[in-house]
Amino acid sequence: MKLIEVVDLYKSFGDVRAVNGISFAVEEGTIFGFLGPNGAGKTTTIRILVTLSEQTSGTAIVGGVDVSADPRGVRSRVGYAAQATGIDRDLTGRENLILQGRLHGLSKVDASTEAEAILEVISLAEVADRRAGTYSGGMAKRLDLAQALIHRPNVLFLDEPTTGLDPQNRNAMWTYLRKLNDDGMTIFLTTQYLEEADELADDLAIIDNGRIVVEGSPTELKRGIGGDSVTLMPSTDSSAEDLEVMATAMRALHDTNGVEKLGDSVVVYLEDGGSRIAEIVRAIDTTGVQLGRLELAEPSLDQVFLKHTGARLRVEDVKPPSRMSRNRRHR
Amino acid sequence: MSLFSETMIITRRNLLKSVRVPILLFMSLFQPLLFLILFSQIFTSLANLPGFPYDTYLQFLVPAIIAMTALSSAFQSGLGTVSDVEDGMLDKFLIAPVHRISIMTGRILSDGVRIVAQAAVVIVTAFAMGARYETGLAGLVVMIFLASIFGMAWAGLSNIVALRTQNAEVTMVIGIILLFPILFLSTGFMPTALLPDWLDTVARFNPLSYLIDAERALVNDGWDWSLVVQSIVVTLGLGAVTLTGATRAFRKAIS
Repeated sequence: MKLIEVVDLYKSFGDVRAVNGISFAVEEGTIFGFLGPNGAGKTTTIRILVTLSEQTSGTAIVGGVDVSADPRGVRSRVGYAAQATGIDRDLTGRENLILQGRLHGLSKVDASTEAEAILEVISLAEVADRRAGTYSGGMAKRLDLAQALIHRPNVLFLDEPTTGLDPQNRNAMWTYLRKLNDDGMTIFLTTQYLEEADELADDLAIIDNGRIVVEGSPTELKRGIGGDSVTLMPSTDSSAEDLEVMATAMRALHDTNGVEKLGDSVVVYLEDGGSRIAEIVRAIDTTGVQLGRLELAEPSLDQVFLKHTGARLRVEDVKPPSRMSRNRRHR
Repeated sequence: MSLFSETMIITRRNLLKSVRVPILLFMSLFQPLLFLILFSQIFTSLANLPGFPYDTYLQFLVPAIIAMTALSSAFQSGLGTVSDVEDGMLDKFLIAPVHRISIMTGRILSDGVRIVAQAAVVIVTAFAMGARYETGLAGLVVMIFLASIFGMAWAGLSNIVALRTQNAEVTMVIGIILLFPILFLSTGFMPTALLPDWLDTVARFNPLSYLIDAERALVNDGWDWSLVVQSIVVTLGLGAVTLTGATRAFRKAIS
């Protein structure tokens, strides 16, 4: 069963099309990853799906409910943790959880019981009665995740669940998410980390400039690259013609799966790339173009991203966006 | 869930927050208490003026201080709203399947409850200083009620500023700038007979004057229901305007 179905979704802010006609579906029980750089439209999409924002056009069905027709129906079915954590620093972790439970219609007793159980699962039981303002970044993220789970939603929406976490906390978060998924939770997550997408997602959509550029399981996507890739960059003082000369030389090679010019480099896709480096270098050498750099890479999401967007996914070390400016701009 | 129970959940949370950060409770109490203590001493001899209605200036002053407490506390309301936006709590409320307006009603109601506690502190302090209340405990209950609903109406204004600017500094500064003109352009600190004509006229258009007049009667003169009703009517009128504005600002902020 499909728990999320999005068809032709658009969202404009003034002249800017943040989401530019995307369609995808998420199967129950899977982890669906939305991979893309900052400003690609990930947060805008997730905010539409959890009813915090309205689409300009298109439809989105979450848990069988249309987000435009019955937003409250959607709200009772989804859990959401934003990129910047949403916790009340003056309340204890437990009080935060109970508050969310109560707001989602649980009785006092149920909210308490659920909070107790979830604090255990998320390893916050020991600090449950401390003010959330004293929590470390990793603890705050986990509390935020717990808040999104307290009412046992059908789908969990996580906007960059590990952005800003150190590797240790990131791994811990991955473990929790995988365990939740093993227990049947459907998870929609956005990320700008290739490794995270690779690690967690059953299905993956790469989003860039408001569009889905490619979609599939990480394995499929990597297979789609056509083997290893060899990236060749001419030395810095070379010209555009040099790039073309290199590309032509590479196209002349036998048994490649494609040659592309991407930015200021030429990428050759081929099986068993390591054994053919010498051949490639010789071919470049005969053209007279000075080779500046050569990279050999096994199929990776990095390569997938490069192939489909023409750029590398650079992770800027982001501060969480100011909510105020975001709200003012309605993003 | 009903709007009422949702409002209660959010009110309870806001109050819990106030108790956890008591500095905010004292911030809006500090100036009124300071005024109570200083003014009652400085202006002591005003009571000797011909035409001054009461035996001591303190008796005259207490109602103004209660009203001041409601006013300055209400001006803080928007700060809570801005901090909810900043902390991501607003989104957390919006993502819950509740009537969204309960976020506003919960905010305003918790302001009302806070003002009840603060007005009680003022009343007890003034009593310790020698003030006496003509209408007794029942009168005090009515006085606190009037101050509380006035504060809730005024909190609407603070929230309009908060939601339009989404900026804590602006919200706070506007409160500080407006507090004194509203306070002193009222019937609070000088009998109208002793005010210049223009100020007397301005004071009549100041909603705070109606609260002060009703409270003053209850403190000193006994049950004057017409003043009490006037104060309630003015508060309701004010509240209709400010809370409608706040609701619109809220809808705009979350759309």
